[in-house]
Amino acid sequence: MNSASGNVLRVRGISKSFGGVHAVNDVSFDVQEGEVLGLIGPNGSGKSTLFDCILGQLTPDTGEVYVGGEAVAGKRPCDLNKLGIARTFQMLQVFPEMTVLENIILAGQEHHGGMLSRLFGKRDAGLTEEADEMIAFFRLSHLRDQRAGSLSYGQQKLLDVAMAFMAGPRLVMLDEPAGGVNLTMLESLKEHLKVFNEERGATFVVIEHNMEFVMALCSRILVLSNGAIIAEGTPEEIRNDPDVIEAYLGA
Amino acid sequence: MAEFFQLLVSGLATGSIYALAAVGFTLLWQASKVINFAQGEFVMLPAFFILIGTQVLGWNFIVALLFALICTLVLLGYFFKRVIIDPMLPHGVLPIVIATIALGIVMRDSVKEFYSAEAQPFPAVFSEETVSVFGAVISVQDIAILITSLAAITLLQVFLTRTRTGRCMQATAQNRAVAEILGVNVKRMILYTFLINAALALMASVLISPIYLAKFSNGQSIGLIAFIAAIVGGFNQVRGALVGGLLIGVIDNLSAAYISAEYRTAFPLILLIIIILVRPQGLLGTAEERTV
Repeated sequence: MNSASGNVLRVRGISKSFGGVHAVNDVSFDVQEGEVLGLIGPNGSGKSTLFDCILGQLTPDTGEVYVGGEAVAGKRPCDLNKLGIARTFQMLQVFPEMTVLENIILAGQEHHGGMLSRLFGKRDAGLTEEADEMIAFFRLSHLRDQRAGSLSYGQQKLLDVAMAFMAGPRLVMLDEPAGGVNLTMLESLKEHLKVFNEERGATFVVIEHNMEFVMALCSRILVLSNGAIIAEGTPEEIRNDPDVIEAYLGA
Repeated sequence: MAEFFQLLVSGLATGSIYALAAVGFTLLWQASKVINFAQGEFVMLPAFFILIGTQVLGWNFIVALLFALICTLVLLGYFFKRVIIDPMLPHGVLPIVIATIALGIVMRDSVKEFYSAEAQPFPAVFSEETVSVFGAVISVQDIAILITSLAAITLLQVFLTRTRTGRCMQATAQNRAVAEILGVNVKRMILYTFLINAALALMASVLISPIYLAKFSNGQSIGLIAFIAAIVGGFNQVRGALVGGLLIGVIDNLSAAYISAEYRTAFPLILLIIIILVRPQGLLGTAEERTV
């Protein structure tokens, strides 16, 4: 177990098939505390399925997942949330009918209080201050009391990420955070994530197709192709890896 | 004028009972994409739980009401979800529709077979006196029904928007996968929805049975009207179901008095057709996008 200290997440031999298709095939990796790990690969290489298996949304056929040394395979997503791990989706995950503040509080609240307080307790769960700070960090303060559905796509994407960090203080898994975000917003998202990692030691795993984004953000990158890890290394190593180039270009 | 006012108040009273059933309808739809075609029977049955208590077991009304509350929560809330909905849900909307239609038939015919095919008198919960307001004769019972139903729906709305559990239920309804990732116990929230629907059905049952008597076939018209009310008001809004229910109650009463009593059951349907043509998302509803 000692070797595992410092590892927020350990994934061991995860496989998942749908019918005859091996979506994820014997994948193992670790995520260290404070690390930003990139997960890249062509469309359909199994990245999102891997996320689903880790978060308990899908049950892997084989393999083990450990969060902070605790085996979590077979646990429901809402139980994993209690261990401080969260994700975002390729699609927007904000609740459009609630305000920005309400979204953030909702994301953070399950860490606090028992059943009675959830039924009768204060609606903000004592989280307003923490939520405001998170909103300010992502420069959304001027939109605090607006309906999330009325925000621009880029702003909703920022809210999305803010919610994930509120829900998963220990580890956040971002599924294509830059997808569909315009260039200015992309810069600001990258900057926010970088600062979040450097200043607060936040740990996250990022799936992303935007290479420039991944290369700038991540300290280590895994490459997935046909459900298996085909390369691992620093952005520089990955950039020059012939296997990776082949997987992407099909050369 | 006095007559109009009388019709308006009694229309609002019955409409508010429809609203209770319609609100339950929309809650189930929002939380788990279940359209409960047995909803009318859900309103019919609790009255018979009470009658079993008062007539068969000889209890007083309050004890029988508690007994009915437990039966309703367990049978129409918990077991309905676990035995019918949970196994059917993965197979899509249509099997649920068929299953709930079948459940409605089973409930209707069980009551007819095992209790009685006759309409049963049902004790009035509120005073049956009338009061005179500006020359109009208003039934105290109507006013009390209206206040009780509106209070229940308001309370529900406050619960959904002001409490943390209510917010988690809304989050579950808006996006289940995300809610679960954010730590919301989605299964429990959906169970709460079914229990709330059962409680609303009991309430509607207790309020409507003194007016229409308790009869096995009551559910057919109530279920249809609740369904129409939910569509007219907007299927994805609690407020919408409330407005839809009240509107149909009033239209039903006024059209029967002023246009044609023979065609009274047709008027809610005409309203439904107009709404579907002109504003398919319902009066207060918002359009839902769905990828197919």
